[in-house]
Parts: sequence; structure tokens; C-alpha cells
Amino acid sequence: MAIAEGPSAGPLTATGTDPRNVDGQAICITVFSTVKWWGRLWLPLVFVYARLVPSAHGTLARLSFIHFARWTLVRRLPEQRLRHPHLFFESNFNGGWEEYIDAFSHILTRGMTLFWGSSYGFPTPLPTGRFKDYIKRHEIVASHFYSAYPDATTTIVLSALELDAKLGEFRARTRGMDPEAFARAWRDFVTDVQGCL
Amino acid sequence: MNTDPDRSGQARALTVLTPIEPRAQDDLRRYLEELKAAGSPLARLPRTHFGRWVIVADFTPDDERKPDHLAVPYLLFTACFDGALDSYLDELCDELAAEAPAIWGRCAGAPKPPTGAPLKAYLRAHQAKTGFFVAAYPQATVGHVHAALKQREDVIAFARAAQGMDPAQLQAAFLEQVGG
Repeated sequence: MAIAEGPSAGPLTATGTDPRNVDGQAICITVFSTVKWWGRLWLPLVFVYARLVPSAHGTLARLSFIHFARWTLVRRLPEQRLRHPHLFFESNFNGGWEEYIDAFSHILTRGMTLFWGSSYGFPTPLPTGRFKDYIKRHEIVASHFYSAYPDATTTIVLSALELDAKLGEFRARTRGMDPEAFARAWRDFVTDVQGCL
Repeated sequence: MNTDPDRSGQARALTVLTPIEPRAQDDLRRYLEELKAAGSPLARLPRTHFGRWVIVADFTPDDERKPDHLAVPYLLFTACFDGALDSYLDELCDELAAEAPAIWGRCAGAPKPPTGAPLKAYLRAHQAKTGFFVAAYPQATVGHVHAALKQREDVIAFARAAQGMDPAQLQAAFLEQVGG
């Protein structure tokens, strides 16, 4: 049984998640899991490793549909003593829920075990079926989700930022050029930034 | 080297967990779910990339092997935003003054009224420190992203329109439409 939530806002969207988790192209995922006693010591080390070792970022960067993601260890609440720490995970991404979990499992196989291996009931990331069931059981639907640029995928944002940098160089390089040279430079520029358009 | 776990480049993560007052959960959920109809109030915070409110009825499913149930449901608020936390919380408490009584006003221990500096202190007291925060474009502010997206559309439109222009027309049109 999944964590109790309010009544559904409707059937799952084409993205495979509740419509309350969706804003335009953007989708949010919110997951809490209960952490074993040794995770209280282990996870802070994993977090430090992930922050300080560039290859950890590089692997996540391969997941080109994630805008922002975070992991947080909730050890205490001001009003309640917790028997166990809890791992909070959130992601802001685009695409489909199933594809997201599939990609996480296949590309971040080792990283997933580092992050969730100390959580009760965590299966291995592969095969993905059991892992999807685990996430579904621990996921909580948002009551309100907001994206500042709901129509833009991560890839489009990254393309726009890359184009911005290259356009700045192009403007500087072509300032004062005669029209013929400018036209040649423009053609080369369009070829160069094709992937951003 | 990034030693601040709430930061990735200039982007920051905010995570706040506040206990919901008894019997307020349903009204709070209804209020939050209806917010979108009039446009998200988070749009009034121009430094916010993404934000969410989530009602956490419990941390663990009922059949978890080691259940650790919450005594009361909690309201989770998270944001991915630009720049410093202190000024962001000022903006949040100021810009969401109309909504805060219906949101954090339904949380136990919240100041009455839940606005301004007392609300800021309440949110800070309930902040959970991030362990690991990752951003795909950590140096880009919301303003930069919006401008870059608009510019990309302009360049695509210009590249289409520019086909067939002679060099002098092309250069003049570029300077006029895309900027020199």
C-alpha cells in the first residue's frame, strides 16, 4: 500500500504520473524512505562523496531530462522524535515517469545502491520492475507543483543557454564585418549551432 | 569545490517540513490543489525555478518492515531558487503574504499572523539541510533561462526568415532582429 494521499485529481497523465505532479513539460517526484541505523552514518559520507567527486555529477548529467534533484536525510523533526532517519528525494524532470525510473536504474545503477541501499525494503535497481514498485509505494503526490518555464525541457534549456553563449561570441566576432564576410560567418554559425535550434 | 550542500553553482535548495494542525489537513490540501487555477503564487517569486507543496501524511507505507509513523501530517515545501537564502525568504514572506495564512497558518506553532519576520523565523526553524543537490544548469538564473529561451525562439525565426536574403539584407536584419 502506498503512503496515504488525498483523493486523486484524475487519472494518470500520458507522462505516467498524477496530474498534480505535472506543470507543462515538467514533472515532480517526491519520495521518502525509512533508513536503517547504519544509514545515519553512511549517507552523509555518500553525500560528501557525491558533492566533491566530479564524476558523480558527470553521471547525473547523462540523465539529460533532470532540471534539479536533491537527496536529504531527515534525522529529526522539531516536534517529534524519529525512531529512524528518513531519506527524502525529489526531482524536477521532463519526459515520462516510467522512462525516468528506467534511465535512473540503468545509468545510475551503482549510485542508486549508494543512495538507497540503506533504506528498508530497497530492491536492487535492476531489473527495474521491483524498483518501480518500490518508488511507487514510497512516492507522495504533490498538492501544488510549479515550474518557472513549464514548456521547456531540460534539453531545450541547455540548448538555449549554449546558443546564448555562442551568439555572444558571434556578435563580438562579426561586429564591423562587411556584408559578404558576415554572410559567410552566419552560415558557419548556423551550422555550428544546429544542435541548439 | 562545493562545500555547501544546499548549493549547486548559484542555485540553492530549500526544504521545509512543518507540522500540520490537527484536522487542518483536508482544508490545506484543498487550498493547495486549487491554487493553480488562478496561477501559482510562486510565479511572483522571480528567483524560483521550481517549487512544490506536498502533504506528507506519513513517511512510510503501513506495511513497511520498520514503520516509523509521523504523529501528525507534515507540510513539505521545497524550492530550487537563485542566490542567497536569507533574501529569498524575505521575498517569499513578503510576496506570499496573501496565501501564507491559508498555508503555514494551518501549521502547528506558526506565528499568528504567519507573515514577515516571524514567518521567516518559523520556516528557518523547520528547514532540513540538503545532503546532495544537483542542477543541470547551476549558473543560470531564472531570468537568464527565460531570456535564453526567448532568444532561441528569435534565432530560430530569424534563421528561417534569413534564407534567401542577400548579404547586406542579412546583416541589417540580424542587427535589427537579433541584435548586434
